[in-house]
Amino acid sequence: MSLPNRSGYWILAIIALAVLAPLLSLLTQSGLSTDDSAGLEFWQSNYLRRILFFSLWQALLSAGISIGLALLVARALAHHGVFPFRGLLLKLFGLPLVVPSIVAVMGVVSIYGSNGWIPLGRSLYGLNGILLAHVFFNMPLAVRLLLPVWQSIPTHHWQMSEQLGLNRWQQWRHLEWQALRESLPGISLLIFMLCLTSFAVVLTLGGGPKSTTLEVAIYQSLRFDFDPPQAVALALLQLGLCLLVAWASSLFHKLPDVEISLPNVQMTTVAAGRHINTVIISVAAIFVGMPLVAMIIDALNGPILTVLSKPELWLSASLTLLIGVSASALSVLAGWLLLSTSTDYAMLGQRRKASMIEMLGSIVYVVPPLVIGTGLFILMAPHLNVFEWAIPVVILINAMMGLPFVIRTLGPAMRQSKMRYQQLCESLALTKWQRFKIVDWPLLRKSVALSTALVAAMAMGDLGVIALFGTPEITTLPLMLYHQLSAYLIPNAAVTAVFLLGFCLLVFWLLEKLIGGKTNVEH
Amino acid sequence: MSIIHKQNYKKAYQLFAAVLLSGLVSTTSIAAKPTLTVYTYDSFTSDWGPGPKVKQAFEETCDCNLSLVGLEDGVSLLNRLKLEGKNTKADVVLGIDTNLTADARASGLFSMHGQTLQNSALPQAWNDDTFFPYDYGYFAFVYNTELLKNPPTSLKELVEDANGPTILIQDPRTSTPGLGLLLWVKKVYGDKADEAWEKLSKRIVTVSKGWSEAYGLFLKGEADMVLSYTTSPAYHIIAEDDKRFAAAEFSEGHYQQTEVAGLVAASQQQDLGKKFLAFMQGEKFQNIIPTTNWMYPAALARTSLPDGFNDLVEPSTALIFSDGEIADNRKKWVAEWLEVMSK
Repeated sequence: MSLPNRSGYWILAIIALAVLAPLLSLLTQSGLSTDDSAGLEFWQSNYLRRILFFSLWQALLSAGISIGLALLVARALAHHGVFPFRGLLLKLFGLPLVVPSIVAVMGVVSIYGSNGWIPLGRSLYGLNGILLAHVFFNMPLAVRLLLPVWQSIPTHHWQMSEQLGLNRWQQWRHLEWQALRESLPGISLLIFMLCLTSFAVVLTLGGGPKSTTLEVAIYQSLRFDFDPPQAVALALLQLGLCLLVAWASSLFHKLPDVEISLPNVQMTTVAAGRHINTVIISVAAIFVGMPLVAMIIDALNGPILTVLSKPELWLSASLTLLIGVSASALSVLAGWLLLSTSTDYAMLGQRRKASMIEMLGSIVYVVPPLVIGTGLFILMAPHLNVFEWAIPVVILINAMMGLPFVIRTLGPAMRQSKMRYQQLCESLALTKWQRFKIVDWPLLRKSVALSTALVAAMAMGDLGVIALFGTPEITTLPLMLYHQLSAYLIPNAAVTAVFLLGFCLLVFWLLEKLIGGKTNVEH
Repeated sequence: MSIIHKQNYKKAYQLFAAVLLSGLVSTTSIAAKPTLTVYTYDSFTSDWGPGPKVKQAFEETCDCNLSLVGLEDGVSLLNRLKLEGKNTKADVVLGIDTNLTADARASGLFSMHGQTLQNSALPQAWNDDTFFPYDYGYFAFVYNTELLKNPPTSLKELVEDANGPTILIQDPRTSTPGLGLLLWVKKVYGDKADEAWEKLSKRIVTVSKGWSEAYGLFLKGEADMVLSYTTSPAYHIIAEDDKRFAAAEFSEGHYQQTEVAGLVAASQQQDLGKKFLAFMQGEKFQNIIPTTNWMYPAALARTSLPDGFNDLVEPSTALIFSDGEIADNRKKWVAEWLEVMSK
């Protein structure tokens, strides 16, 4: 085999530059507090220890529960085969990712609040509320990321397991768990990062400052205390924490042995578990659907025509679309190049190197956009008119934040396609372009479609750093929603929220359709 | 790829081009008129805020362009200005409050406003020659009169009645009203503030990041009262014709928040900036404030306010710390609050 593709290193270099340069520029900004002893006191305080512990604890718990439930649901979906509305259900599972956190909080409260459908009363506020909201956000995403794993288990393995008379537990142990070991650590890390950086959800549903996370502390030191060096130190601490968890999760990581059989197209349905599967799928659908339905009911009671007839809404929608699609295109391109390198290393047997590259590409997610944005601002402001550059910067930051999603969705598929066809391509002496056109694209377009759609949706729902740079006439939809809320226009905001959801669903569906092609093989 | 797909791409591309172009055109269409750039918070510039009306009214008289740049909130405004320093594009900064003015003054980035406040509606004389007020309000606990029949009549009653109403508040680290309540309790309880918070904390349902979350949760019925402004019920009366909401009047008085604007020292347009500050205390600007910012205008008689404002609670005493006291103690007080509330 030829030398590994080096393009991934370029991507890593660009990411490192885009993260480290802003961090360094922040360090040069001396904070207002010149009192060094106060700084030292902060680093030794109980407060810091408490938030470190709490950040880690709530994120591990949230991610653990989300992943555990997602395994159950994904397994049920995989075994259940085709049923009506399966495609719609999976689209629905892409939605919570889009919901701006304030809307999700309101949705969760509509269901579990004191006047909700399943009132939990005061006990909602605290760890319960945080976990409920995080499972609502992340379980569906994890299901979408885990489902392809079942699809990748070759048919003859299932047949063999039946011939051997393996029971469900043995099947899980010897077939499914083995297949999952490749993706699970990465997906868990991604969900962990999402929970670790959660802010408004944790603060609002957490019941108060007991539930302060590192992310809140970073925000506080950068904004309230205006102490950029302390913000950088805290951001690095968060990064370090995440590296530690990444390292721990990599211990469970195991790439499957080279697999040259064809993947199964039709899942063998295990009849015995059908009823249980139906129950699991229904409960999951209800759990995810309820807050969404509550949002829709709120919107139906709102001034629908007033909101929809505003030209500003449609301008905001096109700007939101521009940001979402550009960020996802950039993110998928960067992800593709990065993965080309890491899969080459995996093929050469250098698996640690491969997973290291993927991990470095993912982990930037935990450096808060507010920190990167402020740093970039300091770098740019003396040379450029930052107002004109606000949108490109928002796109760049969203593209970086999308990278872990791309790595998780595209990575396994790319590695498998390489394992199967590398030798064939080499013996046919295909050029890079021929190979892309004939082999890679047809095989990978479904995964490319899913990652593009996910990143676009995420970027579209993100409040982003646009508020940091200053908003001229056009705003994004999530920002418009916040404006409505701060102007007491809560019913209008409910309509805007559902419009944003519907719009994202449409974009999600279109991107998956356009890029993924017409085949009806679902992930 | 089918032709249909290609057309879709083409359309999408055209849409993007249109959005991009409209952005470029709007930022590059510089007329011969001078442009006054005002940094403010983005709920001021939003379609529902005072921004659009203020822009129109000022441009009618100034023979200039008014460019309103919206940032997240008052705290971001000041941070932004500190980051930009002398290279700032801002001529005027509008929207920081008196909790931040000492800090802002210390930055040395502002020049004297050179105005005298006429028709002042403020409860105290205005002596600050760097910052100039445009509106003010009082923090208060808002409740639904149909659901809460006997609201507390003092902060002490709210704090000390163990069976009192449940409340929603905001975090002083992330929200202006949150900081306001912290100062309010400090004003009333002084050194005993931590004991007060300990008692109160049992009935705090949650502490949200911003005002919007807390108010939204309150409207969903999550608690009996929410920390907001005495003027909040005016919104429901005027915009929704809904008279159920009221602010509870507390006998110790209410903590006051005054929002101000300042002239940026590095600005090349000092005269135009002063013209804007003068316009700000004029009747046109002041009349826009009540029903867009839902605060009391700083220079308009109570009798000139729209109807809904006359039914509001009028605090007997306006409680306020000097901006110097806040700058000296803010960090310490917030740390104290965190300590008690994290138990």
